[in-house]
Amino acid sequence: MRSNSTFHSDVLTPFVAATEKFASHNAFCINGVFHSYRQLAETISAIRAEVKKMGAADNNVGLVANDDLETYAAIFALWFEGKSYVPVNPDTPAERNRNVLQQAGATVVIDSSDQPLYTEFNVVRSKELKAVAINLEPLPFDDEERAYIFFTSGTTGVPKGVPITRANLAGFIKAFFDLGITMDETDKCLQMFELTFDLSVMSYLAPLLKGACVYTIPKNKIKFNYIADLLEEHNLTVALMVPSIIHYLRPYLDEIHCESMRFSLFCGEALPLDVTSEWANSIPNAKIMNVYGPTEDTIFCTHYTYNRTGENKASNGLLCIGKAMNGTDTIIINENKEILPANEKGELCLGGVQLTPGYWKNEEKNKEAFFHIMYNGEMTRFYKTGDLCQADDAGDIMYLGRIDSQVKVQGFRVELSEIEFYAKEYLDKTNAVAIAFTNQLHNTEIGMVIESAEFDTKPMIEYMKSKLPSYMIPTQLRFINTFPLNTNGKIDRKVLKEKF
Amino acid sequence: MQKEEIVNRLTPVFRKVFSDNSLVVTDELSALDVENWDSLSHMLLISEVETEFAIKFKLKDLNKMANVGDMIEIIRSKFQ
Repeated sequence: MRSNSTFHSDVLTPFVAATEKFASHNAFCINGVFHSYRQLAETISAIRAEVKKMGAADNNVGLVANDDLETYAAIFALWFEGKSYVPVNPDTPAERNRNVLQQAGATVVIDSSDQPLYTEFNVVRSKELKAVAINLEPLPFDDEERAYIFFTSGTTGVPKGVPITRANLAGFIKAFFDLGITMDETDKCLQMFELTFDLSVMSYLAPLLKGACVYTIPKNKIKFNYIADLLEEHNLTVALMVPSIIHYLRPYLDEIHCESMRFSLFCGEALPLDVTSEWANSIPNAKIMNVYGPTEDTIFCTHYTYNRTGENKASNGLLCIGKAMNGTDTIIINENKEILPANEKGELCLGGVQLTPGYWKNEEKNKEAFFHIMYNGEMTRFYKTGDLCQADDAGDIMYLGRIDSQVKVQGFRVELSEIEFYAKEYLDKTNAVAIAFTNQLHNTEIGMVIESAEFDTKPMIEYMKSKLPSYMIPTQLRFINTFPLNTNGKIDRKVLKEKF
Repeated sequence: MQKEEIVNRLTPVFRKVFSDNSLVVTDELSALDVENWDSLSHMLLISEVETEFAIKFKLKDLNKMANVGDMIEIIRSKFQ
């Protein structure tokens, strides 16, 4: 089923309607402070007036991702002017952020920080703008224009950009509400993600199209604690979370009882069935859904609803990722790019309305990751996810693991080879291997084994912290004189993993 | 249990969890001051502190902990 949704019809129009109809309602609760839809509209209009002054060439605009109204308003201001946002997290090393902004060709950065962070760019200081009349009049822009570019971990030490078009995002929003997820002006929705993580887009955008209120998490707060507090204090009704949150909360689930919760979605990591069943008792009235998808296919694109009263489909204790959402095509292929029938293992590939036009200025990666194949009688473009999957006779997809060395830490995509790249850069000729292991809380942690006698690793870790975001820094280090090799003569990562 | 004893027993736990042998445990110390203090290390810390004092925190206890002073108070209350 192909949707006829457009960015104008499915995103901008309902958003403008919500700001008018629910002007006095709360749009955001940020660090305990409420902001109304009218305030949001005013802030957007002020930033929009500045954005209007930019040249047409400045299509990708940098956005310093702070936790405040101005940062969220900037996203809409850019969309109303047909531009896209490129978020950078102020806690990520500046060098990495500059690389991202330069790759995107951004010359303007919108920044709500007290002191602008990237002064070599033209900075729009969004907290210091004059008030203007509200102007949320959408202009006609082509839906092939970009809505945002998010950068994810690359294998060679350089982050790679995933541009998402207005058509991709409109397709997602249509398919999302087609799942039967209802929201209105009484809903209170969690937004737990950093704005450099695309799960944030669903978390702020869907509620704002319906007049609901978005609850964010202040930086420097322990997330799972803050979420538990929000559930109890504010009676949240909709939440998209990474499974690591309920792993952290697991010892305390008998203390959580949130009757208000109606939709509890999980994405970003594999969702174990056992902890889901325990969580279900804490939110007795909620529909629990496991959703799946890479940034390349716009936020998420498959869904499976947890069955409270009967059997659930799972593999190795992990809940199934279900079927494609409307507008998405899924196929499972073998190494020769032939489509496999049900019950055969292969690589999951995704196509359809949500699929990115390709990595930003990276033809080499595009050739590797995207291909065309005859599907339903049409040449169709697909993306290779790198996820090993298998579909059953009913078409429900089981996630079995990764084909390559990409792992997920707190939902973030991490290429182990990128971590190794910076460790080796520091160590010079000493070899190092990054390992993802499951800790006692059932969360993924990064360990590193160094082929050397023991030494003080603090300077190395400091160096890595200057290059990589914190979730990519190894938390456990081990030393070994010589790396074990497997029968193919490659470093035996399985043996190294046993050290953690 | 005296506050001093709690601080003395907390200090090696904090130093171990945050891999920092010069870390000084004060009432005001919080996640803002320690670079590695995130959700993961917080849970490890909680579990190590629970083991050290042979106590179990409630979720409400954790939600109230804004700094180490709060933690010390909660530990004290468990022994009253």
